[in-house]
Amino acid sequence: MRLSPNLATEQTAPRSLWREALRRLADNRLAMMGLGFFIFVTLFSFAGPLVYHVSPDRQVLALDSTLPFTTAELVEVRFDPEKETPDEITTVEDFAEVYALDPQSDVAALSTGEPQLINGILFTPTTSFHLLGTDIKGRDMLARLMRGGRISLSVGFLATLTALLIGVTYGSISGYIGGRLDAFMMRCVDILYALPFLIFVILLMVLFEDFEYKILLVFIAIGAVEWLTMARIVRGQVIHLKDQDFVAAAKATGVSTFHIITRHIAPNLLGPVVVYATLLVPAVILLESILSFLGLGMQAGTESWGSLIQEGQQSMRSAPWQLIAPSLFFSATLFSMNFLGDGLRDALDVKSAKD
Amino acid sequence: MLRFILIRLGQAIPVLLAIYTITFFMVRLSPGSPFSEERKVAAHIIENQKAYYGYDQPVHIQYFTTLFRHLKLDLPPLTSHPGLTSADIISEAFPVSLELAAWAILIALLFGIPAGVLAAARQNTALDYAPMSLAMIGICLPTFVIGPILALVFGIWLQWTSISGWSSVQDRILPSLTLGLFYAAYIARLTRGGMLEILSSDFVRTARAKGASEFRAVVVHALRGGILPVVSFLGPTLAGLITGSFVVETIFQVSGLGRHFVQAAFNQDQSLILSTVLFYATLIMLANLAVDVLQVLLNPRLRLS
Repeated sequence: MRLSPNLATEQTAPRSLWREALRRLADNRLAMMGLGFFIFVTLFSFAGPLVYHVSPDRQVLALDSTLPFTTAELVEVRFDPEKETPDEITTVEDFAEVYALDPQSDVAALSTGEPQLINGILFTPTTSFHLLGTDIKGRDMLARLMRGGRISLSVGFLATLTALLIGVTYGSISGYIGGRLDAFMMRCVDILYALPFLIFVILLMVLFEDFEYKILLVFIAIGAVEWLTMARIVRGQVIHLKDQDFVAAAKATGVSTFHIITRHIAPNLLGPVVVYATLLVPAVILLESILSFLGLGMQAGTESWGSLIQEGQQSMRSAPWQLIAPSLFFSATLFSMNFLGDGLRDALDVKSAKD
Repeated sequence: MLRFILIRLGQAIPVLLAIYTITFFMVRLSPGSPFSEERKVAAHIIENQKAYYGYDQPVHIQYFTTLFRHLKLDLPPLTSHPGLTSADIISEAFPVSLELAAWAILIALLFGIPAGVLAAARQNTALDYAPMSLAMIGICLPTFVIGPILALVFGIWLQWTSISGWSSVQDRILPSLTLGLFYAAYIARLTRGGMLEILSSDFVRTARAKGASEFRAVVVHALRGGILPVVSFLGPTLAGLITGSFVVETIFQVSGLGRHFVQAAFNQDQSLILSTVLFYATLIMLANLAVDVLQVLLNPRLRLS
């Protein structure tokens, strides 16, 4: 056995709080699995369409509620051969029944894979493969899941950002200035805490139903609900920090208030804020999905996982995969984010973030 | 104790006033009106309607008029249910929501506490990991995912239960389970945490040393302290059960207060919205107060402040 000559220096090498936290996080298997799945879902939603070239809006009514892993032989119908997109997509049977002059030979001609011109209408044979089947209106489920993921994740991050901005600003002002202003600001937070929030979000969504930018309304509604806890955490942390020796030392040496806040207080706030934010993202995604599930969230064309689950529920009798697929993705994402957030909390060991 | 309760009730007044004010102006400032019908109605009829429901007054007068009517519990007539007042709607729909919440909490306690106690008593064995993994799944699955899936499996595939309505016992199973399972999972985790802490404390060790059976040590001595975290969780739970029933009532088509509220919001029935919000808020505050009192009764070391 030989001791490494570098052992002594390695042990004394300074390690920052963040590097230490990252190492602890990396040791947490559940958190790493969460991180892995989270990266997968993000790639799936945002980069997925680059690989899976099916539009979530492409509708083939002939293919309503097809089972997962189905490949269908289809015919594109173009009344105007110059047009880029087909006027209709139909099954081979429908083609034989509705358009073909001599069904047997026309279908046989199509099976060579060449476009056929019959009576001035252009028919092009095509196949469509649906990994997760189609929904009740013949749209590809996988493509819709990807778009739903983009909407849900974007709302999650943007609304969390809104909540962070309001919460951190409010909490730091309240904590740093203190005194009567602090007492007043915290009473306001207390009152808002006592409100039944889902009720207010529902009210906001219904009353301003005709508002053009619904997605903005969702951000505002959710951001306005979720900043309260953030404000409390930040305030507590600021109050704790501003009495610390290093802040007193900075003050004594004449550092400006602005500098104290940006250089000394803000970096120390980062830990609890990051932890709370990672736990907030799944909470926000959940809230948005509840709204969408109740029919109050996104409009058509910007459906989130919540609205997909709601649609799936309506057709679960005949096509259960339409409910199961979005439910699985949605729950797995919530799982992974909660694991990641918990792991981060353990790694940074910020007890106050639980409050 | 009485003083504490009175102070807390006194503190509730400004909160309720704030809730009333926020709701009132939110509803008033929103575009749309309760009288916008698809059918064309003569202008003088709408004028008459507005006068009857008090909408012809200036806003600040309306604010105080409805406030005083609420204080006197003389509730204004509803635009969405002519001839009825919000009191009629609430007294009809609330018992349904209350029963749903009661079943849910019963399920949550019946499943959650034994699972948590078992997990703590057999820490780091299969009896600990199995219920705790289930609990983790339960916490991460929201009601609007569990609900439809339970309906699919037990209602449609197995045909054991019904999937909508609220008239027979069968109707009550899935909604109560859906609402209760999430809280069962949470309570199991809280109970386990609380029990672990108490089981390692001196008085439990003393009880064991004096020859108390393991069952007696766990159930008689430790449980009372061990479920304290559960009790403090009950406050937010009650609030969550009330609002959470929105989703469950929608999934299983139960006509409780949550569904009426969403409906009232869609119909822009301003007085029903106001009354429901006030009713919910009062309920939540009373529940929180009750939980605080219960906590002190279970743990005399906590002082009422």
